[in-house]
Amino acid sequence: MTVVEEARRTANGLRTASDSRLARFILAIGTIVVLILVFRLSTNFGVFPESWDVGLADPIDRARRWLISNQTSHWLYTVFLNPITDAIDWGIRRLESILKWFPWYSYPPITGVGLWWTRGRVAGVLGLASVSLIGIIDLWEESFATLALMGVSVLISMIIGIPLGIAAWRSDAVAKVVRPTLDAMQTMPGFVYLIPFVLLFGVGRVPALISTVIFALAPVVRLTEVGLRTVPQVTVEASEMFGATERQTLRLVRLPQARPAIFAGMNQTTMLAMSMVVIAAFIGAGGLGQVVLRAMQSIEVGKASEAGIAIVIMAIILDRFSTGIATADPGHDALALRWLAVAVTVVAVVGGLLGHNEFPESLNWQFAPYVDDATDWARYNLYDIGGSGIGTGPFSDFVTLRFVTPLRELLSSDIPWPAMIGIGVVLGLWARGIRLAVGIGAALFAIGFLGMWALSMDTLAQTIVAVAITLIIGVPVGIMTSHNDLLRTALKPVLDFFQTIPSFVLLVPVITLFHVGRIPGIIASVIYALPAAVHYTDLGLRRVPAEVHEAAESFGATRGQRLRRVEMPLAAPELMVAVNQVIMLILAMVVIAGLVGGGGLGLEAVRGLRRSDAVGRGFEAGIAIVLLASILDRLTRAIADRLRPPAAV
Amino acid sequence: MDTASETAQVRVEGVWKVFGRKPGEAREMAEAGATREEIQTATGSVVAVRDVTFHVDAGETFVVMGLSGSGKSTLIRCVSHLVAPTEGRVELCGTELTRADHATLRNLRRQKMAMVFQHFGLFPHRKVVDNVAYGLEVQGVDRQDRQDRARELLDTVGLEGWGDHYPQQLSGGMQQRVGLARALAVDPEVLFFDEPFSALDPLIRRDMQDELIDLQMKLQRTLVFITHDFAEALKLADRIAIMNDGAFVQVGTPVEILTSPADDYVRAFTQDAPVAKVLQACSLMRPLDGTDIDPGWPQVSSTTPLETALPHLLGSTSPVVVCDEDSTPVGLLHGDDVAGVISENRP
Ligand SMILES: Nc1ncnc2c1ncn2[C@@H]1O[C@H](COP(=O)(O)OP(=O)(O)O)[C@@H](O)[C@H]1O
Ligand SMILES: [Mg+2]
Repeated sequence: MTVVEEARRTANGLRTASDSRLARFILAIGTIVVLILVFRLSTNFGVFPESWDVGLADPIDRARRWLISNQTSHWLYTVFLNPITDAIDWGIRRLESILKWFPWYSYPPITGVGLWWTRGRVAGVLGLASVSLIGIIDLWEESFATLALMGVSVLISMIIGIPLGIAAWRSDAVAKVVRPTLDAMQTMPGFVYLIPFVLLFGVGRVPALISTVIFALAPVVRLTEVGLRTVPQVTVEASEMFGATERQTLRLVRLPQARPAIFAGMNQTTMLAMSMVVIAAFIGAGGLGQVVLRAMQSIEVGKASEAGIAIVIMAIILDRFSTGIATADPGHDALALRWLAVAVTVVAVVGGLLGHNEFPESLNWQFAPYVDDATDWARYNLYDIGGSGIGTGPFSDFVTLRFVTPLRELLSSDIPWPAMIGIGVVLGLWARGIRLAVGIGAALFAIGFLGMWALSMDTLAQTIVAVAITLIIGVPVGIMTSHNDLLRTALKPVLDFFQTIPSFVLLVPVITLFHVGRIPGIIASVIYALPAAVHYTDLGLRRVPAEVHEAAESFGATRGQRLRRVEMPLAAPELMVAVNQVIMLILAMVVIAGLVGGGGLGLEAVRGLRRSDAVGRGFEAGIAIVLLASILDRLTRAIADRLRPPAAV
Repeated sequence: MDTASETAQVRVEGVWKVFGRKPGEAREMAEAGATREEIQTATGSVVAVRDVTFHVDAGETFVVMGLSGSGKSTLIRCVSHLVAPTEGRVELCGTELTRADHATLRNLRRQKMAMVFQHFGLFPHRKVVDNVAYGLEVQGVDRQDRQDRARELLDTVGLEGWGDHYPQQLSGGMQQRVGLARALAVDPEVLFFDEPFSALDPLIRRDMQDELIDLQMKLQRTLVFITHDFAEALKLADRIAIMNDGAFVQVGTPVEILTSPADDYVRAFTQDAPVAKVLQACSLMRPLDGTDIDPGWPQVSSTTPLETALPHLLGSTSPVVVCDEDSTPVGLLHGDDVAGVISENRP
C-alpha cells in the first residue's frame, strides 16, 4: 500500500515543485487503474448489491402515514405546526387579496414607473409592455398567486436573514455555525428541499414557502455579514472617537456602509426565491409554475411557453428592480416621475374602489397555438432534416448512444462498485487528505446502502456529459472574452439573461425541439451552466496580472504559448472554481429534468413528490442527491485549492 | 526623563502595548533589552509600545516622530483608548482613562477629545456637512443646530459651499480639511492627529501645515500629533518625542533635539534636517548680559531663520543683534554657535 501512503503524503500538503506534483498525479491515476483491474479480474462485483439496501423508504412511508392520520390530533400539529401553517397561509392569502384589490390597469403603469425610476425610461416602457403581455396571454390570476408567494417568501427571508447576518458578524460563535450551514444549503439542488417539507406538511403553499425561504436565505445572510465585515475599520474608529455607542455606530456608520452589499444579497435572494417558487409547483404551490408543470406533463408546449414567458418577465422585472433600487438616480426625470407616481396611485385607488380587478377577457390573445404549430413543424422537419441523418433526432441518439448510455454502463456496472468507491477515496486523498477521502468513501457507501447506486450513477453520467459539453463550449468562449472586451460587452446581456431565468423554465424551449428523455435535461443544464463557465473562465484569466503578460511577451512567447504556459496555469484555480460552479448548476438541473424523462435520481425524487406512496423512495433519492452534490462539491473545491500556488510567507 | 507638570492635560505613565497571546513573557524580554524582532520570533507577540511616559500641557503641540512601524499609531490609540494599553496609566483632562467605565469614556470622547486620521476616515455615505456634524449628532444635538455649526466650521477650514458634496468627490487635501472640521466641530480640548498629512502631496501638505499652525494660534488647543516626517515635526512642535521600536528615544524641543541628539538614531534624522531653515535666531542666541552693542552690527528679528541670518555672519567676526517685535535687542547670535550646530548635523 505504498501507493496510498504516497498519495496521502501528497495530500497532507507537501506542495513542492510541479514535477513531483505531476508524478503524484500519475501515481493517483495509476492507483485508480490498478483498482479497477484488480476488482474486475478477481471478482464479479458490479452494481452495489441490492441485499445491502437498508430500506429507509419503508419507515419513512410509515412516518408519512402516521403524520397524515395525526394531522388534526397530535400536539406536534395542534400546538406547533398547524399554527405556523395557518399564519403563513393567512399571510399569503392576505397579500394576494391586497394585490388583487387594485385594478388590473394599475399594474402596467406601476411597473413602468418603478422601472423608470430605478433603471431609466427604456426599462420603464419595456416593463409596462411586458406586464400588459402577462395579462393579455391570460395568466393574470396565476401571476398574482406566484407574486404573493414571492412577496411573503422574500419578506420572511429578509426578516430572518438580515438579523442573522448581523448576528453572524457580531459573534464568531454564531458565524461558525451559520457559515458552513449556509455553504451546505447552497450546494444542494433546491429541488431536494421540497422533500422533507412535503413529508412534514403535505403538499400546498406552506411547505413551498418554507422550502423557498430556506433555499433563498443564504445570500442575504452572507452578504449582510460580508457587508458589515468590510466596513473600513477607520470609519468605525472615527465613530468611536466621537463617543458613539455601539448601537449608534451600527445604525449610523456600519449598516449604511453595508447597504450596497445587503441590497446585492436581497437581489440574489429574490432571484433564488423566484426559481424555487416555480419549482415548488411540484408540491402544489400553484401559480405560474403549476401552469408550466401541467403543460409539460401533457406536452402542451405552447401553453408551457406562455407560462414560461410570464415567469421570465416576472423574474427580469424583479431582478432589474432589485438591482436598480440601491443605485436609483432618476436625475432629470425625478419631478415627472413624482407626478406620475401620484397619478398612478390615484388611479389605482379609485379603480380599486370601483372594483375593476379582473383583466378583461376581450384583451386576451394567446400565442400558444402558434408555438404548438412551430413545435410540430420542428418535430417533423428538424427531427431528421431531409433524411440526411442530420437533425435533432440523430443528434439525440448520437449523444445518448455514444456518450450517456456507455458512460452510465461504465459507472454503474462495468466499473465494479468497490473500485468506484476506491476511485473516490484516491481522488479525495490526492486532492486534500484523509478526512475528505473518508468522507467520500462513507458518502458513496451510504448511497449504496440507500439502494440508490444505479440511479446515482445514471445521474452522475448525465452530469459528466453535460459538464464536458459545457466546458468544451464555455471555456473557449471565456478565453475569447477575456482577450476581447468588445465580445465581452456584447455577450454580457445574453449571459445575464440566461442567469435570470428560473432553471425550470429552461426546459420548455428544449422540449419543443428534443421532446422528452435524457437529452433535453442535458441540453437545458448546459444552457443553464454556460454563463457560469464563461464568467469564471473570463474572471480567472483577467486576474492574471498585466506584468505577467508583458513578461511573457518580452520573452517572445506567441499568443498560444502565453495562453498555455502562463495564463492557463495561473488561472487554473479559478478555472477549477468554474468547474465546481458548473457541476453544481448542472446537477441541480439534471435532477429537475427527471420531470421530462431525465431518469436517474431526479425521476425518483419527482415521483416521491407526486405520489404519496412513493415518498420514501423520493426521500432516499433526495438524500442520495445531497450526498452526490456534497462529494462533487468538496472534491472540486479541494482540487481548486490544490492548484493554488503556495501562499506567500 | 519627564517632569510631571501641574497643567498637564494629557498624562501618560509607563504605557505598554503588546499584541499577541503572551504579553507577560514579551514584556520581560523587552525589559531585558530584546528587540521587537527577537521577541516576536520567541513569543509570537509584538511589543508595539514599550514603557512610554510623557505629558502634554494645555495649549501645547506635542509631536511624536518615528519611522513607520515604530508604534506611533498604537501609542496614540492607547492614549485615546481606542485600544486598551496592556499596562500603564493614561490620564486625560484629569480623568484616568485606564480606569474609566464605558459611559465615562464615552462622555470624555464626546466632550474633550477628537481625532484626525491618516486616511481621513470620512463616512462615504454621508455628505460633507453630515460628516462634520457627526460628533454633534452622536451627542444628540438637533439637526438644524448641528448643520449650522458644521457649515460654520466648513467655512473655517476653507470649504464653504462644499457641504452638499460627498467626501469621495473631493481631493485628498480637501478631504482632510473635512476631517479637521469634523474633529473641531465638537469643540474638543485635546486633538489627536495620526499622520494626518502623510497621504497628501508635498505642496498641499505644506499648506495644511501652515493652516494648522494658524488655527492653533487662534484656538490654542492641546495637540498630540503623529508624523514620520522629521521636518514636519520640527515645523509644528513645541516638543518632539522621537520613537523607535516602541520606545521614546528622546523628548525635547526642536532645538534641543537638533543641537544635542541623544543617539545615532536621532542623529540620523537631524543630519538630513533643514536646520538652517528650521532653527530661528532666537533659539541659538546668547543673552545680552550687558554687552555693549556696536551700532554697526547687523540686526535681525528673533523669528528669522538661521538661513537668513547666515550672510551677516559670514566673513565677519562680529555677532548679529537679535531683536524682538519692538526692535528691542534681546540677544546676540555668534557665528561660532551657528557653525557648531550646522557642523554637528553634518559630521
Ligand atoms: N492590531 C494589531 N495586532 C498586531 N500587531 C499590531 C497591531 N497593530 C499594530 N501592530 C504592530 O505593532 C507595530 C507598530 O505598529 P503601528 O503602531 O501601526 O506603527 P506606526 O504607526 O508607527 O507605523 C507594528 O509592528 C505593527 O505590525
Ligand atoms: Mg501609523
